[in-house]
Amino acid sequence: MLIFIARRLLFALALLFAVSAFTYVIFAALPSDPAALTCGKNCRPEVIATNRVRLGYDKPIVVQYGQFLNGIFKGRSYGVSEGVHCPAPSLGYSFRKHQCVTDLITRSLPVTASVALGAFVLWMLIGVGLGTMAALKRGRWPDRLATGFSVVGISLPTFFVGLLAIMVFVIWTGLLPFPRYEGITSNPAKWFMSLILPWFTLAIVSASSYVRLTRNGILEVMNEEFVRLGLAKGLRRRTLIIKYVMRAALLPIVTIAGLDFAALLGGAVITESVFNLPGMGKLSIMAVNDSDLPILVATTLVAAVFIVIANAFVDILYGFLDPRVRLN
Amino acid sequence: MKSRKVIIGALLVGAFFVSACGSSGSGGSGSGESSGGRSGTDEGIKDGGTLFILDHSTGATNLDPQRIYTGADLGFLGSTITRTLTSYTPVAGKAGTQLLADLATDTGTPSEDVKTWSFTLRDGVTFEDGAAIVCADIRYGVSRTFASEMTGDEGPLYATTMLAVEGEYPGPYTATADQQAAYEKAVECSEDGKTITFHLKNPVADFNYTVALLAFAPVPKASDTADKYTLKPVSSGPFMIKSYEEGKELIMVRNPNWSADSDPVRKPHVDEIHWQFGLDESVIDERMIADAGDDQATIVYGGLQPENLQTVFDDAKFADRRTDGFDGFVSYTMINIKKVPCLEVRQAFWLALDREALRTAGGGPFTGEFADSFINPLLATDYTPGTVTEGVNADGTPNVEAAQAKMDAAKEACPEVHKHATEEGLRFDHGQSELWAKLISIWIDSLGAVGIKIIDNAIEPSKYYATINKDPGDLMRAGWAADWNNASTVVPELFTKEGGFNYSQNWEDPAYPAFSDKVNLAKAEVDRSKQATLWQELNQYVLDQAWAVPGSFTKAQNLVGSRVRNAYPWLPFGWYNVGAIGLAE
Amino acid sequence: MTNTTPLLSVRDLHVSFKTNDGIVKAVDGVSFDVANGQTMGIVGESGSGKSVMVSAIMRLNFGTDVIVSGQILLNGIDLLALPESEMRQVRGRDIAMIFQDPLSALNPFYTVGYQVAEAYLVHHPKTSKAQVEAIVLNALDKVGIPDARKRMKSYPHEFSGGMRQRIVIAMALINQPKLLIADEPTTALDVTVQAQILELIDSLREENNSAVMLITHDLGVVAETIQQVMVMYAGRTAEYATVQDLFDTPSHPYTQGLLRAVRSFDQSTRGSLVSISGTPPSLINLPEACAFRPRCSQEMGPQSACATQRPELRTIGASQSACHLSADEVSRVQREAFSK
Repeated sequence: MLIFIARRLLFALALLFAVSAFTYVIFAALPSDPAALTCGKNCRPEVIATNRVRLGYDKPIVVQYGQFLNGIFKGRSYGVSEGVHCPAPSLGYSFRKHQCVTDLITRSLPVTASVALGAFVLWMLIGVGLGTMAALKRGRWPDRLATGFSVVGISLPTFFVGLLAIMVFVIWTGLLPFPRYEGITSNPAKWFMSLILPWFTLAIVSASSYVRLTRNGILEVMNEEFVRLGLAKGLRRRTLIIKYVMRAALLPIVTIAGLDFAALLGGAVITESVFNLPGMGKLSIMAVNDSDLPILVATTLVAAVFIVIANAFVDILYGFLDPRVRLN
Repeated sequence: MKSRKVIIGALLVGAFFVSACGSSGSGGSGSGESSGGRSGTDEGIKDGGTLFILDHSTGATNLDPQRIYTGADLGFLGSTITRTLTSYTPVAGKAGTQLLADLATDTGTPSEDVKTWSFTLRDGVTFEDGAAIVCADIRYGVSRTFASEMTGDEGPLYATTMLAVEGEYPGPYTATADQQAAYEKAVECSEDGKTITFHLKNPVADFNYTVALLAFAPVPKASDTADKYTLKPVSSGPFMIKSYEEGKELIMVRNPNWSADSDPVRKPHVDEIHWQFGLDESVIDERMIADAGDDQATIVYGGLQPENLQTVFDDAKFADRRTDGFDGFVSYTMINIKKVPCLEVRQAFWLALDREALRTAGGGPFTGEFADSFINPLLATDYTPGTVTEGVNADGTPNVEAAQAKMDAAKEACPEVHKHATEEGLRFDHGQSELWAKLISIWIDSLGAVGIKIIDNAIEPSKYYATINKDPGDLMRAGWAADWNNASTVVPELFTKEGGFNYSQNWEDPAYPAFSDKVNLAKAEVDRSKQATLWQELNQYVLDQAWAVPGSFTKAQNLVGSRVRNAYPWLPFGWYNVGAIGLAE
Repeated sequence: MTNTTPLLSVRDLHVSFKTNDGIVKAVDGVSFDVANGQTMGIVGESGSGKSVMVSAIMRLNFGTDVIVSGQILLNGIDLLALPESEMRQVRGRDIAMIFQDPLSALNPFYTVGYQVAEAYLVHHPKTSKAQVEAIVLNALDKVGIPDARKRMKSYPHEFSGGMRQRIVIAMALINQPKLLIADEPTTALDVTVQAQILELIDSLREENNSAVMLITHDLGVVAETIQQVMVMYAGRTAEYATVQDLFDTPSHPYTQGLLRAVRSFDQSTRGSLVSISGTPPSLINLPEACAFRPRCSQEMGPQSACATQRPELRTIGASQSACHLSADEVSRVQREAFSK
């Protein structure tokens, strides 16, 4: 098992390196001039030229990438005079936002993590719960209800659900204040209040596919021979459902959920926009609008890192959950 | 003065500033102006409370005074955290454009040749930490304008063009001792630190208006964090920044070290100002229309969405909360004289362009009125209805017959340009947006009717000005508003070679030298009414040469919360005097 | 059939499924008995309803779309009438089951020791851990798992197919059930292992004095261990006889066909395998006719009883057979086909 984990982590590390290089090169290959983007509207060519040197954009891409990596491990200074220093791990400096990219990320990430975690718990509860109910009551009204929910949920766009939630709960009924993000450490109650609507919005939209996955998974496992054998042994139906059916049926869902969660950590773009949550998604959108290259590289990289980590984590978890995986 | 969004070249819709121009003296084509009703008065104000500002943008464009150049920010931050030597009278209407002494004891003393201006600082003016504001702070602040690598040339560059600094001066961060000394010779401080004297290269009759720009605000050297200063500038006004989180919120609280006695301009009422970023535009409108809870104490940075205009303006219940008026901007199309050196073609362009169809596509009369000048009617002193090319229809519809006649004449007079326009085609630069994707076909069709071929060149908005600066097309869309109540910030900026926003390359035109000479005359003219006449003549000269073609005097509409008072449009800035806003019970 | 009170007595068992295309009559009026200590064989092609039938005996069918009627008497108690809680006691304790594919029959997530222990514990909940372990070890030893103490901590996928089936057998027999239902227990195994497993089942049957129902589609492999055989076709009993009689004097043309297939396979190592042409009929909306008629070598023509009536089970010679042929006709066919 230890070898399995070690091998998996090593692979993840190699992948991270490749992803970072790839991301960096892709963005560098874009036809925009990052130096021109550091400059305001009056923008004289001299200013662009100075900034190009100052940001190292005049150097070959390999050198730039080297500096970028160096920044991650050792920190880096930006600018020739009165330069700003970003301590390690530095992912760059945004001349549009006048801040170290790492600072921007560490500020945005908890927001997205808050959104993602709550929504994830909710959607797993809703998705797996409804899916299980549907499977166990197959063909009867709970099944139709859950399946109906799933179809509706999948076809509704997130921004629509979000705006509807705001209209109904904030503007029309006034049951909730307009969500404004508060850090969990500064005010847990406000944090919770500000996230209720985003959680549910994201959960409802995402749970839909999990209802279907869970329902089909359970029905499939129920037809497995080992479940029939368990029943033939005289096991209680409930024991059977939990120990035999759910365990096997939820295993593939763990994989998908892990990756979905990781993807969410990269930023729930639409939810964050609708509910005005200053998370990773919002940061990426800002960066796209401003053509803020350093931020874009960093957010892409962070999102990729989460996916890679989640992949490794899911694999290792799978190893614990499914004895068949360990040997390979 | 630039706008945050308008400047991107897509001026026809979504103009950013509200100005319910209370004064009716602006004349011209001005109609459909309305004041904000009760919300513009101080009826029932009770001191205290929190004012909320909802903003679709993810953050402030800039808080660093030397980098601020948008009208709304100049007025907003000037009225709250940043004081300058001079400022404007905090009242609605034309009286608001009256210059007032702010940090200075008076509105400045010029030398006879108006090449030297002196200001004496008031007693008791301090920064938020209680330290007295001295001449060196202002001198240091102004010097930051020169450090283009730090400021990215974002703010107005008047200091760099006007101050008589000998040799190169790269700003305080990288200047050698000699360079710094040269700068300090141009911006002189008296020994007691009370008097600041600016030495100018050329006569500037209205330099005391120039120093009202926040670029001339004081910055304490010890607190300067260069690029990062824009995140938390040191306040000299009645409010100060408590916290600022990009994408989320900026909170201003009252500055305990500000004293009302030292400040004739600012009369704050609220305790806190919460500027909230990144809100969905349609959510903002819904909230403002619903007017519930804290939203009653709320103003919006940005105008109403076009789809909500009818709702708000058809219903009398919004009468006390809505505003509609000119935002101070003129939209126009700059013509590249180097590439189109033929008056007939330029006039044909003007005659043929279907401005009415463009306005309708952009949202109709709410978006603005057809302009006959580059000087906005809000600059009442300098504006006079311009004489447009004969045949241009006042209702904005094209005059194909007249345009065709011009094209025919062009074929005789300047066949090469005619060929360029009809065969190669004219490259039209404009900001990329959904609206422009719709508008461009009107351009192509209406100009195509007289044989002018348009090559569409949509440019990503954030790169717009950098792009056309480097590589100007034949036609370029832009928008402009005056930096202060004087066309000296319009005509020279847009149409002289030294101007910061002249993309027309009109100095190639034989008609240019005469124009340029007259501009210099006007700049130095100390008699304001004589100066106004000169501006009017110069504006007409541009119209006659068709170096550019005016589009609209743009308008904006907005809605404020029902408890908001004193939200009058402050004419010099085209937005509210935010620092003066109070709340009723 | 048997001279003692039967352990299991199935009477007129019907099992139908509701599907979108109509009702599938998977088992359509089957009756038979199994005596204590006896091994009964149930033979038929796949789709003949034999697996559905044994599932019905155990009441293993989940869901609402299955309709079961008739009687399944175990020692005189009708299992179909039992409440689920009591039926649960019957499963694994009175009747145990062995499945076709031992890999898919074992839960991949638990060790084999755990799963065998579970089979015991579910009916003996108050047993100490040590006791259970001893019982499990003993059971694994008995089915021939080498080094059982160590191997019980292994997972199913770490065993070979034959070993897995041994584990399933150990699990099935751990409560010494009165009836063991083996649903094609050797089909998924290597030929070399098949005989071992059948021998194991038989020896354990003897030891426990259990009855065994051996379901198979292959007559040849099981001939030695079986006393009574029921041949099923299209959800019905085609023929019911002792193994001796079935092999010597098969009455039903279907049985004859099956036997021919087996024998030709035995005799000719090269020549083509004689099998019954055609495929089993769809069980949806079966016509009122002999279900085997389209494939029958003795088909009697469109006006015959075969085309209009479903044959009932009746005594023909030593067997009971559901065929419209007369006894004479049957003997003639038997002579022609099996004269050698």
